[in-house]
Amino acid sequence: MKKKVITSVSNEIIRNLKVLAKEKEVVRRKLEITAKELAETAKKLATTAREREIVRRKLEITAKELAATAEKLAATAKEKEVVRRKLEITAEKLAVTAKELAATAKEKEVVRRKLEVTAAKLVVTAAKLAITAGKLAVTAEEKEDVRRKLAVTAEEKEDVRRNLLVTATKLAATAEERESVRRKLAVTAKEKEDARRKLAVIAKKLKKSHETLEHKVLERTKDLEMARVKEEAILLSIGDGLLVTDEKGIIIIMNKTAEKLFGKKREETIGKIFSDTILLENEKGFLVFLEQYQAKTILKDNTTTSVSTYYYRRKDKTKFPMSVMATPVILKGKVIGAIKIFRDITSEREIDKAKTEFVSLASHQLRTPLSTVNWYAEMLLAGDVGELNDKQKKYLDEVYKSNQRMVELVNALLDVSSLELGTFIVEPESVDISKLAQSVIDEQRPQINAKKISFSFSSEKNVGVIQADPKHLRMVVQNILSNAVKYTPDGGKIEMSLSWAGKGNILLKILDTGYGIPKNQQNKIFTKLFRADNVRDKDTDGTGLGLYIAKSIVENSGGKIWFKSLGVGDSGTTFYVTLPLLGAKKRGNRYAK
Amino acid sequence: MIKKALKEINSKKKDISSKKKTILVIEDDRPLLGVINAKLEKSGFGVISARSVEEAFNAKIKKNSPKAITVLSIEQALKYIESLERVDAVWLDHHLLGEEDGLAFVKKFKANGGRWNKIPVFVVSNAASPKTIKSYIDSGVSKYYVKSNHRLDEIIEDINSLLKSFK
Repeated sequence: MKKKVITSVSNEIIRNLKVLAKEKEVVRRKLEITAKELAETAKKLATTAREREIVRRKLEITAKELAATAEKLAATAKEKEVVRRKLEITAEKLAVTAKELAATAKEKEVVRRKLEVTAAKLVVTAAKLAITAGKLAVTAEEKEDVRRKLAVTAEEKEDVRRNLLVTATKLAATAEERESVRRKLAVTAKEKEDARRKLAVIAKKLKKSHETLEHKVLERTKDLEMARVKEEAILLSIGDGLLVTDEKGIIIIMNKTAEKLFGKKREETIGKIFSDTILLENEKGFLVFLEQYQAKTILKDNTTTSVSTYYYRRKDKTKFPMSVMATPVILKGKVIGAIKIFRDITSEREIDKAKTEFVSLASHQLRTPLSTVNWYAEMLLAGDVGELNDKQKKYLDEVYKSNQRMVELVNALLDVSSLELGTFIVEPESVDISKLAQSVIDEQRPQINAKKISFSFSSEKNVGVIQADPKHLRMVVQNILSNAVKYTPDGGKIEMSLSWAGKGNILLKILDTGYGIPKNQQNKIFTKLFRADNVRDKDTDGTGLGLYIAKSIVENSGGKIWFKSLGVGDSGTTFYVTLPLLGAKKRGNRYAK
Repeated sequence: MIKKALKEINSKKKDISSKKKTILVIEDDRPLLGVINAKLEKSGFGVISARSVEEAFNAKIKKNSPKAITVLSIEQALKYIESLERVDAVWLDHHLLGEEDGLAFVKKFKANGGRWNKIPVFVVSNAASPKTIKSYIDSGVSKYYVKSNHRLDEIIEDINSLLKSFK
């Protein structure tokens, strides 16, 4: 029983527990749901809070913006107020001005009216005056009539009186004339006889002088004819070709040598225009119109004689060089024609070429002994064969230096001879001129430093690569710069610059504060072997070939070289070189066939 | 004579074995040859010259006809180089006695099966026409010097630095 009770109780308990458990489960689930809902609510609240925060911030920004706008508006209002006040002031001023103008207008109106009244008065006065004038005119006319009539009467009276007087005079004169005629007739008879005799003498003399004159004229004419023939013969026999043209360029004289030179007969050329008949070419084979060229030079200076070299092509197409000297013929200050002298200079050219070739050959031969002296002296000076004493060193140094100068001279002579022979090979390539200049400067640096010269170099932006033969370009820069260094005293200044010169050209400028170039020798400075007196005096070194070479190279490359110097003194010299960017054209041996 | 020459060759070979750089100098002007050799030796080179080759190998012909020797001298210079263990550089003049000049030597030297292509040739001459210089450069020489325009030590320094760069 007990066990049954226990069992039922326990079952009861178990049931209750199960119920409780179920209830708990229900409660737990509800709690879970509530928790979830709470979580969601919390999330929503958080979201709302965030949104609120965003709204708050936006509001804050808006408030700030509003404040700013308000400030701006206030400022604008202030400005407006200022403007308004200004406008008010202006308006006041305008009102004053208007009043003033109105017053002036009124015054003007018064004046105008017064003027109108005055004008009316004037019109009336004028009318009155006109009437008076009319009346006066009528009176005057009447008076004049009376006067005229009176005058006529007076004149008539005077005429009658004069006629009477004339008649009286005539009568008196006739009487006198008769008497004088009678006297004169007596004298004339004697004079006639005298005159007759004198005339006879004169006639004799005249006859004699006439005969003499005729004789003289004959003789003179003969002489003149001889002289003319002689002159013509002289002109025509001149050893050089001679042509004379008139002011229009028409050939009027041509001598035998010219006939031979041009292979044309006088008959073919005389009376024809020179430049149509004789075709001359320049070095490049282009026709040259001598007439045009001369007209220009003659215009400039009436006495210009020009000498140029041209080429003439014979009928067989062979060409020869010819020196042409043209001189204007001037009569009473006007050019009335021109004389042209022509000379075949083929042989001179050949001699020149042979001379240059000789220089070239000799220079090569000279280099061998120069090298020998150079190298032996070098070894001796270096102490390779035993130490020298100071005096020996000094002496040998002079030998070495002189030998170096000789080497330089030979090099320069070779450059000149190849320039003149036309064997100066031009091999253009892209050269950075700025870098090239810098390397020349580096080379000169020891001398620049030794002389304590203040040196500057500037290069404009983008000035750099040009088409040129680097060796030749280097020679140009080197020659000018080394001159500047050589001929600037210690402590002087040298400025070097590269810049654009327009039209695709670059400009190299080298300024120094050196000895300058004497005024009277400036025109010779680019000539071969020339050295100015003032530098020869100061420095025996130098070949007189550097600038000649530089000029030849620059001009061969289509550039220009010139300088400015105020003359001797320490005012210095500035050299300018312009070079076209496209630069030198490739060139080999001009004489090569 | 020949014995003497062989002796000379042997002494040169000794130089070579002692790692002395050997340079072959071909120059027709005796005074110049003298000073070049002296300076090179002073600068630590072993020197053989084309003249000494001809003197050593053909003294008889030299007396009779210098032309013949000179033609031979180039040939023999080539032979001589072959007989040596090595030549490090060649110093060459353009004008040589006889028909053939330095350019002819360079052509033969460089054409020899490419054997000596790497041996630098320094032309030191006064025959400085641009055309001549170009021919040498085109033939593969290392450098061309106008004799009168350069110091000996300058050229030797160039040779030294080129030879060093080969190492």
